[in-house]
Amino acid sequence: MSNAALTPHSSLLSTHSPAPLLTADRVTRLYGDRIGCVDVSFSLWPGEVLGVVGESGSGKSTLLRCLSGLDRPTSGSVAFADPAGLIPDIFALDEQRRRGLMRTAWGIVHQNPRDGLRMAVSAGGNIGERLMDRGDRHYGSIREAALEWLARVEIDPARIDDRPSQFSGGMQQRLQIARVLVSGPRLVYMDEPTGGLDVSVQARLLDLLRALVRDLGLAAVIVTHDLAVARLLTDRLMVMRNGRVVEEGLTDQVLDDPQHAYTQLLTASVLAA
Amino acid sequence: MTTMIRVEGVAKTFVLHNQSGIRLPVLDNVSLVVDAGEAVVLSGPSGAGKSTLLRILYGNYRPSSGRVLVRHGGNLVDLVAAAPRAVLEVRRRTLGWVSQFLRVIPRISTLDLVRDPLLARGVGDAEATRRARDMLARMNLPESLWRLPPQTFSGGEQQRVNIARSLVDPAPVLLLDEPTASLDAVNREVVVGLVNDARANGSAIVGIFHDEAVRSRVATRLIDVTAFTPKGIAA
Amino acid sequence: MQKTVTSPLPPRDEAYNFAYLDEATKRMVRRALLKAVAVPGYQVPFGSREMPLARGWGTGGIQVTAAVIGPDDTLKVIDQGADDTTNAVSIRRFFARVAGVATTEATADATIIQTRHRIPEAPLEAGQILVYQVPQPEPLRKLESSEAETRKMHAWGDYGPMYVRLYEDIARFGHVATTYSYPVLVNGRYVMSPSPIPKFDNPKMHMSAALQLFGAGREKRIYAIPPWTEVKSLDFEDHPFEVQKWDEPCALCDAADSYLDEVITDDLGGRMFVCSDTHYCEGRRDAGHRGRLLGTDAGRALTRNEE
Repeated sequence: MSNAALTPHSSLLSTHSPAPLLTADRVTRLYGDRIGCVDVSFSLWPGEVLGVVGESGSGKSTLLRCLSGLDRPTSGSVAFADPAGLIPDIFALDEQRRRGLMRTAWGIVHQNPRDGLRMAVSAGGNIGERLMDRGDRHYGSIREAALEWLARVEIDPARIDDRPSQFSGGMQQRLQIARVLVSGPRLVYMDEPTGGLDVSVQARLLDLLRALVRDLGLAAVIVTHDLAVARLLTDRLMVMRNGRVVEEGLTDQVLDDPQHAYTQLLTASVLAA
Repeated sequence: MTTMIRVEGVAKTFVLHNQSGIRLPVLDNVSLVVDAGEAVVLSGPSGAGKSTLLRILYGNYRPSSGRVLVRHGGNLVDLVAAAPRAVLEVRRRTLGWVSQFLRVIPRISTLDLVRDPLLARGVGDAEATRRARDMLARMNLPESLWRLPPQTFSGGEQQRVNIARSLVDPAPVLLLDEPTASLDAVNREVVVGLVNDARANGSAIVGIFHDEAVRSRVATRLIDVTAFTPKGIAA
Repeated sequence: MQKTVTSPLPPRDEAYNFAYLDEATKRMVRRALLKAVAVPGYQVPFGSREMPLARGWGTGGIQVTAAVIGPDDTLKVIDQGADDTTNAVSIRRFFARVAGVATTEATADATIIQTRHRIPEAPLEAGQILVYQVPQPEPLRKLESSEAETRKMHAWGDYGPMYVRLYEDIARFGHVATTYSYPVLVNGRYVMSPSPIPKFDNPKMHMSAALQLFGAGREKRIYAIPPWTEVKSLDFEDHPFEVQKWDEPCALCDAADSYLDEVITDDLGGRMFVCSDTHYCEGRRDAGHRGRLLGTDAGRALTRNEE
């Protein structure tokens, strides 16, 4: 039981937080006859971390693409509470507006850093891009923000002018996180954030993610097949299989007292998560 | 006294889908009330369902039926029916879980670990540090360890860090899962003192203690869980 | 004594339609030009035609010139600032033959100036048209290879990645190292490639009295800057746009305000800097300005036809 997990400092989890930040309503994505995900509904409140677990092919990455605006659902809607007002469905917006949101209101940390970084651009340029996107035109302050974020994700600021291709896998992942968080999003999507990393590197990244989520009061949706990662990072869990949610609830509830046959199989097949 | 926990007609049956759907009834018809200032110790032989019941009170296990009401702020919240985020909120402010196991958090100093629950409840920085230091001293943890993360500590040291963290700001409802197991006599005394202090300050306590001596010094009431054993099942 | 820079009216070759292109094609190009003028800096697609020279040799500029030129116009053609290089001479001769128009080397006398890689030093005036030959009209192409994507970026003013490029320059070199094709923001709306002119010439585009037209033949795009339009070179607030500077003035005419080319004078490392705008340089020498090397062997090599 994660009784020693750090509890959020802010009152973001408080029951009086007015409205969900994100609401998925029967999100369905079909590829012809093939099922991506079917009828996924949930709400996410500010400061909450939702885990989505399941085997590869269970539809969790498809769901993430739909939620984050990368892939239009076949049916269903994704509502987002923008500070400027509720957006009932991000896919009803024009593409320009949706892209703007994808760069400011939320961010995506990809499993493969190459999908989330400009590999030919320096670390500083990668972090600064979202600032320049939103119209920042002061080199000094962009650079300052980049230095600050490098330190924050535990990359030596002296490497600000190095390219991501010169970084290790763990550093690339941390750089991706800095690039996303620099513009102050309220919501972050992460697709297997620790995938492909050594165990010790994973631990460091998880630790960093926890601290960032807590200090910034971020809401997050984390897709992973690693139940230990889910246990460590998430408040709530959805278990997906064949594109559908088979079980959901508090993370420790789902992992310690799984109700669905598939979840029982999943939790039984790993060493003490 | 104020009712802090009210359990009504709770049953728990485990269904093991991957073992031919075998059903394991563990608890049936659990009803109990715990008031503020009470320390209820669950008793009964191993396998009787003490741990299962304690986990149900924390919202960790889901009962098959019944209600688990916990006073949160002014209201009784049913942990069985509440939304996950409401359960988290109850845990954050009202429910404390104390066990002997520390889930190690990488690279967070011992002092910060103990300060954390205080900060989470809105205690100021300086005050939180003062109380955390007092607590660590009380748990006989050498000051040289306070700045270090506990993952390199011995099992006993980790356990004491965990207790310090859990009892630095006792929650209105404390659930204790053998917190004194494997502690030496001196530290066991400290923990007993802390638990009794918490109760004296109005916390409602439900716990499992195997040590007879500790049990008798902590408990204001015993509940024998074999009373909740489903009919037809030998305990 | 300056030689005659404006030719007498040549006879027109009647075998071709006036200015080579047929009237329907010229109308098509003019429609694209009107749209381009109406939306400054926006790239208008047009049906680029085969011309009697290879694409990449100025076919876009030639088609634009052909669409706007009339019998009363006077044409100047420059290539890298010079009136007497092969490309400039050929294009001037081409229009003399197919349009029968007067040609000139004098910037002030020209009504249409077709250019590759330079803007004349002498300020242009109202009524003049500057036609640029453009190899790559898309300023975002190096950052984004998809045309569909660059069009969206323009439509949405999505120019962050352009600034990433400038950021990278400053981070690596301490200043923006881009010295030609330096991107500009036209009329506060569209980012535009000024064609491969040196960034030294960028300020001349701003609030110019002349009409500036850009033709990219191979890429089939036309764009324009109407007279008196704001043209701003992209920069950061704390790294403002700057043009190149030289440590010495023109070795022939002593000009300190013009764009200079480096010329190697011997095999011993000797070199000199001279105006790239040959007409401007001649004009200054005629007015009595004398550079450091004027009259020496090195200087004579570049001013031979004045002797």
